[in-house]
Amino acid sequence: MHPRLPTDLALLMVGRAALALERNAHAQGVRLSLDLERVLSSGMLSWPGADLSKIDQHDHNRITEDGAEAVALALAHRHRAWRVIRRMQREEHADWLLEDAREGVRQVVALEISGVDRGSILARLSEKLAQVAKSTDVDQRWAGVVGFEEPIAALHFAKREHRGN
Amino acid sequence: METDALNALVSGAIWRAEQLETHGIRPASQAWAEVSSLEEELAKALAVSESEGRIARRGAVRAALKAGDYARAHALADAYLAEEAPRSLKTALRKILEEDAQAMASRFRFASRHHSLREAQDLARRFREAGAFGLAA
Repeated sequence: MHPRLPTDLALLMVGRAALALERNAHAQGVRLSLDLERVLSSGMLSWPGADLSKIDQHDHNRITEDGAEAVALALAHRHRAWRVIRRMQREEHADWLLEDAREGVRQVVALEISGVDRGSILARLSEKLAQVAKSTDVDQRWAGVVGFEEPIAALHFAKREHRGN
Repeated sequence: METDALNALVSGAIWRAEQLETHGIRPASQAWAEVSSLEEELAKALAVSESEGRIARRGAVRAALKAGDYARAHALADAYLAEEAPRSLKTALRKILEEDAQAMASRFRFASRHHSLREAQDLARRFREAGAFGLAA
């Protein structure tokens, strides 16, 4: 799926996604609502079992954020065929740099991801779209937000923010 | 080393540095130094005309500053500014250094009134390396 994503990182993210889902009382095969650039559909999520007795060993927010990254990166590949190039420093306004090699032309995609443990993802999605819009030296800017209470994942395109310089 | 391998390494290094920083763990500066080295290797492998090359150049300078290695950050920035780079990259590199200098001046307000920025940066480096008692030595 993402050959340039280090295996230890992928396992850690998937493990935290499992914790984020199971602490919200979800079981394997839970329905995931999808909002891909405002086209609504649904899918099914499955994951390796998590040991909730060890959840206190993890930072609460990191479970949500890293878990969201696992779900969003899987979604980005499954539905857009994007592949991870590398992680970016936060000052680049995005978490990941991916490549979109469909249609024979390679495009570089900035993807900012965030997770919401409880409640709506709408406000966070707006916030992340505004953030990734500032990303430079990329062809496309996208934000992905994953909600774990009622599993939902949104992947939206952001217009480039034009600046003076 | 191939860029794919470097990209995988830099992803892991940034991840580790962010996790350490989140928990306020002191060796985060060492982790950022590792990020800076890997970004520098990527910058060597990728031309400045490529978007990933420009991202790596900004990353090398930024991570060096996060590591508290001001001399390295300025040396890298000078080298990248000397390249035939797009104006946007040169502006971004100068902005990274300026913003760090401003952050430094506000963090060390008293020092910045009495010393130049370079002196304040040296003071910060010595403080980071040796602690408060090291400065008195």
